[in-house]
Amino acid sequence: MPQHQGARLVLSQGQAAAILLLPFLTIYAVFLVYPFFKGVWISLHDWNLMAVAFNPDAKAYVGLSNYERVMWGSNITWGAWASPAFQFIGLAGAVASAWLYRTGRAGKVTALAMGGAALLLFVLPGFHPGEGGRWYDRRFWPTVGNTILFVGLAVPGVTITAMLLAAALDGETRAKAVLRTLFFLSQVLSVTVVTLIWQIMFSPRQGLIANLTQLFGGSPIVWLTAEGFAMASIVIATIWWSLGIAMILFLAGIQDISKDLYEAGALDNATGAKAFWYITLPNLKRTITLVVVLQIILHFQVFGQSHLMTNGGPNDTTQVLVRYIYQTAFRDSELGRASAMAVFLFVIMGGFSILQFVLGREKDQ
Amino acid sequence: MSGVTLSNVIKKYGETQVIHGIDLEIDNGEFCVFVGPSGCGKSTLMRMVAGLEETTSGKINIGPRDVTRRDPSQRGVAMVFQTYALYPHMTVAENMGFGLKMNGHPKSEIKEKVAEAARILKLEPLLDRKPKALSGGQRQRVAIGRTIVRGPEVFLFDEPLSNLDAELRVDMRVEIASLHKQIGATMIYVTHDQVEAMTLADKIVVLRDGRIEQVGKPLELYRDPDNRFVAGFIGSPAMNFLKGQVAQGALKIDALPETPALDVRLPADGTKVELGIRPEHLRIDPEGQGFRLDLIEKLGGISYAYLHAGTGERLIVATDGESELTDDMDVGISFDPARAFLFDTGTGLRLR
Repeated sequence: MPQHQGARLVLSQGQAAAILLLPFLTIYAVFLVYPFFKGVWISLHDWNLMAVAFNPDAKAYVGLSNYERVMWGSNITWGAWASPAFQFIGLAGAVASAWLYRTGRAGKVTALAMGGAALLLFVLPGFHPGEGGRWYDRRFWPTVGNTILFVGLAVPGVTITAMLLAAALDGETRAKAVLRTLFFLSQVLSVTVVTLIWQIMFSPRQGLIANLTQLFGGSPIVWLTAEGFAMASIVIATIWWSLGIAMILFLAGIQDISKDLYEAGALDNATGAKAFWYITLPNLKRTITLVVVLQIILHFQVFGQSHLMTNGGPNDTTQVLVRYIYQTAFRDSELGRASAMAVFLFVIMGGFSILQFVLGREKDQ
Repeated sequence: MSGVTLSNVIKKYGETQVIHGIDLEIDNGEFCVFVGPSGCGKSTLMRMVAGLEETTSGKINIGPRDVTRRDPSQRGVAMVFQTYALYPHMTVAENMGFGLKMNGHPKSEIKEKVAEAARILKLEPLLDRKPKALSGGQRQRVAIGRTIVRGPEVFLFDEPLSNLDAELRVDMRVEIASLHKQIGATMIYVTHDQVEAMTLADKIVVLRDGRIEQVGKPLELYRDPDNRFVAGFIGSPAMNFLKGQVAQGALKIDALPETPALDVRLPADGTKVELGIRPEHLRIDPEGQGFRLDLIEKLGGISYAYLHAGTGERLIVATDGESELTDDMDVGISFDPARAFLFDTGTGLRLR
């Protein structure tokens, strides 16, 4: 390296990188890493928000008992049919991944990751209180169940709707460009606005949907307070809200597919729906994986829709995990228990992030 | 199998007309090559036969059937694309059988036909691979295999060799020629490479700006071009042209000291003309005068001499590989007048 006149600081590449990274690392450490470990630390304490605020010593180390109080109960046993729906899906998923691996349709890592996740779904819901036993926290697992149900409805809903919209709106006409913008627009709204719009839409008195049902002679549905409909209504609002990004990703994926393939398809008698099924869909495999995992991670954190539209009701049927964490921490002041639940949520989302990483890395053979 | 007939076929994109009333007859079993510079409409014309481009007006017949308004899949054609257009998510066998699958043929029949095509093209060891795991030449063969499996009346090739390297291109050219011999189907082949056209075709269609310049057998076009464009396009290296005019009922070529005795009916006085003579029909006279030899390229079997005339016009002469010529010589040229052509500069037409 040439020596310059005067005292000049010469940095190695590593030093330069460290200096450039420092601002980010500082912020990342202060606002993400530290709070995360602090959260884990809090979850190991009996920590009342109010008490500790007035007297920093009013906390006590309790080990894992917050986790036990949230997730465990007295006299818990395991059964293969305790929660047939989840366990059947889990078992089917495990069998499916083994089959996909054996027939060469999925790679080893993919099959292991999917099979592992499916097995967890078979094992975990099998735990239940036995004779005379009970969960220490009766609301936690139903809340987890609601969250999974929400994710299970919203993710396929968003993915399929966004994919069909993208397929329909791919093209260069002005109308399609306008519609693409319109469909994306809902994405930029805040959750408060979205829930307000949909509360009005679902209103049994002046709502658009009630008007439509009445037009066809039906009696209006009390969407937000009827037990069978409340979850459906927050799912519908969520699909409408988070369609945009998924649609853009699918559009990018569709535009990546060579036009020649569709021409070859036209000669092979694969047009319209057949072309979508045999050409578009298989070539969108990677985009679908990306969208599904991103949506899973996003929707496990659902809070606003449930909090603002239904208040978790009726009868706790739309109570979701983040809202329960929020209430435990800031209404009941039980910061330790809330942190334990937050760590649980982190583990779930971390798992899906790893899954995304694994599926994204594996190359097609 | 059947021939293809185009009657007054026209293609317009909005106001822009790109194909100007093409009439063409391709016989059953004929290998027909559309050739021309880029933008001449050759690919568009073939895509109209395939049904991938709508025909604005005119009629396209395949065999006795009018297919002008039929869907691509209903026309009995199969096509090899320049980019191969193999389905990336399907194996070689699935790619080849896809057309039959879409048309509801039974699995056993598909398997049989794929195996047969794979045998013809020596693709058997590759049947379970995906296109990504194939070389360019192998992909090309799969694309051809896909058309064979369909068993179409007409095969279409859209610049199929232009993505291959030079050596492979020659191999594939030979393979396509032998494939045509083997299955004897009607084939239409689009290329901008006149060597491919000359070597493969039974019939060459030279296109320019959406019009047919000339149709004929390769050697007919070579020996007897109708106009300056075809004369310059067919043959490699291209024909040399020397400017001249007709004055007082006699021909005068500016660069030549003596007027060649051409057997043509001369046009009126004052008409500007061009003399065309192929590099392989020119001879260099080392003792002569009038031309400067700038450079000689010795390829071994043959040498190309690059000359310029006193008028500044450039010529290429193909000479013996053992030639003793060197760069920067003053030379003369000679040729057999019977092998020279005369063109009207204004209309570009051949004067006979």
